[in-house]
Order: sequence, then structure tokens, then C-alpha cells
Amino acid sequence: MSDPLVDIRDLSLWYEKFKALDNISTSFTAGKCVVICGPSGSGKSSLLRCVNRLEDFQEGDVYFEGQSLRECPNIASLRSNIGMVFQHFELYPHMTILDNITLAPRHAKGKSKADAEAHALTLLERVDIVDQAHKHPAELSGGQQQRAAIARALALEPKLMLFDEPTSALDPEMIVEVLRAMRDLANDGMTMLVVTHEMGFAREVSDEIVFMDEGKIVERKETNDFFSNPHSKRAQDFLDRILMKI
Amino acid sequence: MTFKYDFDWPMLLEDPYKEWIIEGVTTTIYLSLLAWVIALTIGIIIGTIRMTRSPWLRFIGTAYVEFFRNIPLLVQLFVWFFVFPLMLPHDWMLSWNRLPHIPFITALLALSLFTAARVAEHIRSGISSIPKGQFDAARSSGLTEVQIYRYVIIPYAFRVMIPTIASEFLTIFKNSALTLTIGVSEITSSAKAIEAWSFHGIEAYSVASVTYMTTTATVVLFMGWLEHRLRIPGLIAKK
Repeated sequence: MSDPLVDIRDLSLWYEKFKALDNISTSFTAGKCVVICGPSGSGKSSLLRCVNRLEDFQEGDVYFEGQSLRECPNIASLRSNIGMVFQHFELYPHMTILDNITLAPRHAKGKSKADAEAHALTLLERVDIVDQAHKHPAELSGGQQQRAAIARALALEPKLMLFDEPTSALDPEMIVEVLRAMRDLANDGMTMLVVTHEMGFAREVSDEIVFMDEGKIVERKETNDFFSNPHSKRAQDFLDRILMKI
Repeated sequence: MTFKYDFDWPMLLEDPYKEWIIEGVTTTIYLSLLAWVIALTIGIIIGTIRMTRSPWLRFIGTAYVEFFRNIPLLVQLFVWFFVFPLMLPHDWMLSWNRLPHIPFITALLALSLFTAARVAEHIRSGISSIPKGQFDAARSSGLTEVQIYRYVIIPYAFRVMIPTIASEFLTIFKNSALTLTIGVSEITSSAKAIEAWSFHGIEAYSVASVTYMTTTATVVLFMGWLEHRLRIPGLIAKK
């Protein structure tokens, strides 16, 4: 087996006195799509945010391509290889979609304006909103905004994509268009970590499922195995609830 | 009881009154604009460093704001004019006193530093009103802290703050009247001089009042235009 892209070792994170992540060790291989699920407050988002050190974890370490995040001398440059998509899109409202997408390639990666814009347009084409390039975020629908945010993350030409509940703020009919864009990305071989409650997406697209509860990884299995044969009682209960088995 | 006052409006167009008015108006506008530019620059810097993670920078920012905001402007003018030169080494003091336009320079210094503290507070509240996720998004894309503020946070906060910034300019402009106490020949001091020479107080102070009112009206109109121009499409409603 090749070296993992992300290696998490003995990771713990506290918010004040609350222990959000409890001694987590796991790793993620390049080219896989892994869904992280679990009840709310289980630490899924916190774990994801530790992978690019948006959270300053107190114990343990995360290694990205073998580089320790704790001892990383230039965290900004490391982050520019990891794309992230947020629940509330977080597009910059005062910029056009095109400027949103080209900002980091130009200023964090030193691309020329022309190169960055040409690349941005191909990405917008890919998520099917190239006609929205010169509009501002608030003029787009939620689904379009999230696809623009995916394009913005892809513009970094990332080695890893993090999705933090990307469809939780969307209306049902818009969820589909975002999930479709994510599925295409996974099929193209992008390494993805996805925190989501969309079990349909998890079952269809992901390679593996990580199930978390109370700041710990309770169970990690290949997708089909997880759905057909969840090992832990907590995972069984969670699946029953989320798949509406009453 | 009868009202006895002989109006003489045309006298305002005669020398020396005309000269005094022109000098007063130019000085007022010049002083306010310069002070405004300096106050905005310092205010943005101080307001921003108060939001950073460095405790030292935050301390400097807070100390600045509390110091300049909590001493009355009139006292600050006197301190800069009368006390500050005394604190300089002797030969520095002599060269300071030899500078031309000492009252104007002192007034500019006092007005800018005082207003910068107020601007810094507005900037800080503007920045705190920005959703935390904007910082997350910018950080996760590999921008440095300075770039995050330069490209994302300050341009966003500035648009939210235009009305407050405008009202702060009106304040600096009206506060400039206080500088007559240290001998700046701005419009209020011109009005005072005209009144003293001619005993025509109504005409004299009308000129000053009209100057303040027309300038503030112009600023309000300009800021309204700017706000409209910089409005974020879809986010801030069209007028």
C-alpha cells in the first residue's frame, strides 16, 4: 500500500473544556472518496477542519503528504493544495464569481490574471454555470453558489477536496445539482473527504464510510459493507434513524 | 420693541472681508480633507490590528483608541500646541517653532489622530460583522493573513461601513472649527474677525453656517453616490 495522503495520529481537539475530538488516528489514501457521517456534535466537521488546520488542535498531529501540520513553516502554502467547500458557500459577496475563483490562484499561487481566468472558465463549464461568471454571488441560486464554490476550490488544482456539509443549506431540488457535480469529481479520481447527511450520495459515490460519535471514530468500513452490515449498535441506530426505518 | 439691525450683505464681497472668507473656506476644507485622509489611513491600520491574533498588536491598537478617544478634542489641541513642543529636546523645540504654519500643522495632527481612533472603532465593528466563514474560506484557499484582509475582509467591511465613514467625515469637518482656539484661520475664525471689525455678526456667521451646510450636503450626496456605486449586487438592495 502506498503512503497515505492524509495521516492523522492521536489527534485531540478541545473547544474550551469540551473535548470535540478524542484521540483519533486514521489515514486517507489518494484517489478515494470517503464520507464522514454521524450524529450532530459527533466531531465530523471538527475532524475535517483539522485536516487543513482551520482548527488548532491541541494534541497529536496531522500529516499531509508526510508534512506535519503542527510543524509546518508555511501553512498558507500547504493549504493552497487543499480545496474546501463549506455549508454556507462562503463566496466573497463583493466579488464576481470569476474574481472569487481567481483570487487564490493569483495571490496564493502566483498565476497570471489571464491564466487564472481561462482556468476558472473551464471549471465553471465543468460545474455548468459558465454563464454566471460575471455575476455576484447573491444573484445566483443556492445550488449555483455552491457549484461556484466547488469551482473556486478546484481552481487551486488541489490534491484533496474537503466538503463540510455542502448540501445542508440547500433546498431539495438544488441538492441534486451539487451532488451531481461532486459525483463527477469523484469519478474523475479526486481525493475527497465529505461530511454529509446525504446517505444516497454516500452509498452511490463513496468508497468508504467513517462513522463518528462523541469525538471518536466508531466504525470505518467499505461503503457497501457499512450499509449492509454495520458493526456497531450506534451505527445501526444512526442508519435506522437517517433512513427513516421507524 | 423694535428690531434694529442694518443688514449689509454686499460688504462681504469687499476687502478685507472677501479675502478672509476665501482664506477661511479654503483652510477649513483643506484641513478637513487632509485630516480625513490621514485619519482614515491610521484608523484602518489600528482597527485592523485590533482584530489580529497577536496580543501585542491588539494591545497597541486598544491603547491608541482608548487614549485618543477619551480625551476631549479641545484638550488634545491644547496639548499638541502648548505641551508637545515643551517635551521635545531644546534644539528640536526651536526648529519646531521655526516651522511655518505651526497652528495648521498642529491642528492637522490633533484632528487626524483624534478621528483615527473613532474610525478604528468603526472598522473594528465593521470587521466583526463579517461572517467567520469568510475568514475560513480565505484561509483554506492558502491566502496569507495580510492578503485575507487586503482582498476579502477590508473591501467587504468598507462597503458595510460607508454611511458611518461619511458621518465621521461630517464630524471632522465640524470639529475643525475648534482649531480657531490655537490660531488657525479657518472659516469660523474669519467669521469672528469680520464680526469684530464690522459689528455685522449676522452676515459674518451666516457665511460660516452656509459654508458648513453646503459642504456637508455635498459630502452626503457624494457618499450616497459612492454607496450606490459600490453596492454589492443582489446583497444590498437597489435604491
